[in-house]
Amino acid sequence: MKIILELFGASRDFSKKDYLELEINDQTSIKDFKEILLTFIDEKFKGNKDFKKIIQSSAFCSEKNEIISDNYKILKEQKIGIIPPIGGG
Amino acid sequence: MLHTKVIDIKEKKLSITEAENFISSSDFGASIFFSGTVRNQNNNKDVIGITYDSHDALVIKSFEEIYNETDQKLNIKDKAVFIEHSKGYLNLGELSIIIAVACKHRDEAYVLSRYVIEEIKKRSPIWKKEHYEKNESAWLKGNPILNEKN
Repeated sequence: MKIILELFGASRDFSKKDYLELEINDQTSIKDFKEILLTFIDEKFKGNKDFKKIIQSSAFCSEKNEIISDNYKILKEQKIGIIPPIGGG
Repeated sequence: MLHTKVIDIKEKKLSITEAENFISSSDFGASIFFSGTVRNQNNNKDVIGITYDSHDALVIKSFEEIYNETDQKLNIKDKAVFIEHSKGYLNLGELSIIIAVACKHRDEAYVLSRYVIEEIKKRSPIWKKEHYEKNESAWLKGNPILNEKN
């Protein structure tokens, strides 16, 4: 199924668009989704270490705007937001 | 009483006057205005501007949560709080955030103002990209977001 990953902060450097479109299996967990993203970085950005660090230190949020844990399973096509380390104000 | 907003700098700028209008009330004897502005140096680098990025829905949610929890955590029940944060490119000296609070007494106004900005720093998904001379720029590292839920 198709997932739209909305990009924020430093992860915006992953694409010229505001999002990535990724194909994943039903019931993929956030933990596994991170691995898919790391593979994406390997393939598209030659394993850029800084980009990988961003993924490893990011949280993710659901379509309902809730921060979701590594165990959260993605059950349907939806938008997921990647939330890199924050620092506003 | 709470007002929150993420302001796209392309549409308008933050306004202290709007904050003042919102919190003004004869119910309160103390007001504090905190503003954050873009400064010209960070980590020994000359900064010429900052782009702020925001997950608007989560930011507003975090502002509301921070406001609501001050009832219990700080025991400040009667208050007016105005929080606006900019997003987009800001030049040096421009306002990135306004937090205006009004309470009955000064002690609680100071505590409340400080609490709100510190919690925003920890919990609100806002990011900064600094811009330097020679068309260089970099996202600031930041801290992993707290408040994880299943």
